[in-house]
Amino acid sequence: MGLFENLATAAPELFTIKTMILMMIGTMAGLVAGAIPGFTIAMAVVLVLPFTFSMSPVEGLATMIAVYVGGLSGGLMSGILTGIPGTPSSVATTFDGYPMARSGKPGLALGIGVWSSFFGGVIASVVLMVVAPQLALIGLEFQPVDYFSLILFALTVTASMAGDQILKGLIAALLGLLISTVGSDVVFGLPRFTFGVDAAAQGFAFLPVLVGLFAFSRLLGDVRTSEKAHQRLGGDEAHAVHIDYLGSAREVLRRWGNVVRSSLIGVFVGVLPAAGSTISNILAYDQAKKTSKESDKFGKGAIDGIIAPESANNATAGGALIVMMALGLPGDIMTAIMLGALLIHDVIPSPSFITDEPQIAYSIFLAFFVANFMMLFMQSFTLRAFVHVTKVKMYMLTAVILFYCSVGIFSLNNVTYDMWTLFIFGIIGFVIRALGFPIVPMVLGVVLGGIAEARLSQVFARSDDVLVFISRPWSLFFLLLGCFSLLFPYYQKHMKTAPWARFFVPALLIVQSVPVFMMPGVVRPSVALIMVVTGGVMLAYRLKYRNAAPANE
Amino acid sequence: MKAVILIFSEIKMSLNRDALIAVFLLLICAVMFVASMNLPAAMFGQMSPALWPRIILVPLTLLSALLLIKSQRMPIEPLAHSSEPTSGWWEQNKIPIICFALFFLFLSTMPVAGMLLGGLLYVFLTLCVLGGWERRKLLLHAAISLVFVVGMWAIFTQLLGVLLPEGELLRVY
Repeated sequence: MGLFENLATAAPELFTIKTMILMMIGTMAGLVAGAIPGFTIAMAVVLVLPFTFSMSPVEGLATMIAVYVGGLSGGLMSGILTGIPGTPSSVATTFDGYPMARSGKPGLALGIGVWSSFFGGVIASVVLMVVAPQLALIGLEFQPVDYFSLILFALTVTASMAGDQILKGLIAALLGLLISTVGSDVVFGLPRFTFGVDAAAQGFAFLPVLVGLFAFSRLLGDVRTSEKAHQRLGGDEAHAVHIDYLGSAREVLRRWGNVVRSSLIGVFVGVLPAAGSTISNILAYDQAKKTSKESDKFGKGAIDGIIAPESANNATAGGALIVMMALGLPGDIMTAIMLGALLIHDVIPSPSFITDEPQIAYSIFLAFFVANFMMLFMQSFTLRAFVHVTKVKMYMLTAVILFYCSVGIFSLNNVTYDMWTLFIFGIIGFVIRALGFPIVPMVLGVVLGGIAEARLSQVFARSDDVLVFISRPWSLFFLLLGCFSLLFPYYQKHMKTAPWARFFVPALLIVQSVPVFMMPGVVRPSVALIMVVTGGVMLAYRLKYRNAAPANE
Repeated sequence: MKAVILIFSEIKMSLNRDALIAVFLLLICAVMFVASMNLPAAMFGQMSPALWPRIILVPLTLLSALLLIKSQRMPIEPLAHSSEPTSGWWEQNKIPIICFALFFLFLSTMPVAGMLLGGLLYVFLTLCVLGGWERRKLLLHAAISLVFVVGMWAIFTQLLGVLLPEGELLRVY
């Protein structure tokens, strides 16, 4: 079936009154949650999760996507009105949004942000609908060994996002994998690392671990001192304004090039594991500044400076969904939670997911598309709610949410063991965070650990030959890419100073061309040839001008 | 004895935070390695249950050792040599530790108090620990606990059909 036939099949499933109401509530909740500084989108999605248990997969996923989209757009409200970004994905929005609001145009600034978010989301939905099924077709080529290498690559990328702390990032990822080994082993179901505790034989369900490590530890970190606990959620500066929808739409459409470029940056960053909207909004802002004819206006209320981050951060969600839908692998916390929601409904995402479950898959695509329209219309109403919510003190929210997390986690399997898991991993998360370890690699390690072991057992069930890891093109491709991703933080740090850093990109192209050349067909070896030639030319050029300072190239 | 003291003073290992973490991680790795020895060997041509954990433990041990080496090249943190390190640490982490202790209490008393009564007590106490014990605030905290805990309990039990722990105090059958 083609794209439109699949969408037509999925539409009746999604466009029910109940699902639409749930999505509207979800969007509104996401907008308010995203607008509250310190309250992350992931936290909002975690809180919505228990409510989805009693829903159908489509209703549950659609609600969570609505929260996700709302959260990504909500950050702009506080960013523009108070100068404090509601979420890390709106950091760059404050650079120009706040100065514009301070110069007497808050309605225009908000309108530009809202429309940019909308267009970013719509462009990403189109890319999602077109690219995900194609990527899933490639995913069907993957053998267990390729999957295992892909998981290793995802973990190395996640760890490398820790930058200077890559060592701690890698340790956190490995600790996450180690946690996932507690319980029953994947092959024989024998108890492992239970240390005499019978209950531990069931292992740790990944949602209590995820909520404990991520939400629980973060909330308690936010109220560490009495002063922090008594802070109002959004300061005292927030006030309701009228959003100038028409004027801002004209301004955004006039700059459609920036919208499209920033959205594509957002989608691309979203596809990369762990590189979420926190990175994409800054990257898009930087690109917009570099390509703008009015770069001197950036930081003083430039329209392009609001368009770029807001288009990019909403588009990132589309990129993250592409990987989850096509390969069944979560790239960030949000998609990890969604994966958990799918598993609760006995839907197991994999490359064949889109073809096996077209109704659910295309409903998710459509939900992402529709959520952007809902966000557009609900922004005005939510603005008033946001102004009221910001008056609440941090400690009140913390106490209530901690209780809510425990009730939600209990309702997962109706066992108190999960609440103990939440408690233990809350402590671990708090300690790990305080010691400077990044949390995301650990969470992904826990989520991906079981999948990795299952794939590895399949590899060994087929053959004892470990050379299969480098003889299979996709496996080699991901392993090599994983090695480069480990070196990436050093490259990033020394790219303007160290001579070796000038050869990083050509080396990457040439080395990666080897597995691409090993792939079947005509297209991929041709791509490999282009990669070799490009890498060769870059290498020759950089060798010729090796004495020139890298920054002057 | 003198020789031992001499060796330690020669080593001069700076016990900064990362060094302690690395030593702790190395201990965990050792314990897990030993535990993995008790796991059954490979059967029927399948992967042994010990293989995957060992694949994880090898790089984890190496990276922990690397962290230990790296920590020795770092400047010594004032925390390690402070005369009153514990008081500062306690002040910084007092609130989260009390909150964790309250949560522990909430979970421990669950079989008796149940989710509703235990939850009311837990949210109220957490609000008071974080927000203060003044009389006006006590009323506000009691109202917040009542509205949100009873509200959530009602949503989960009545709307979503979840059987939350009743506890012996409220058990009707």
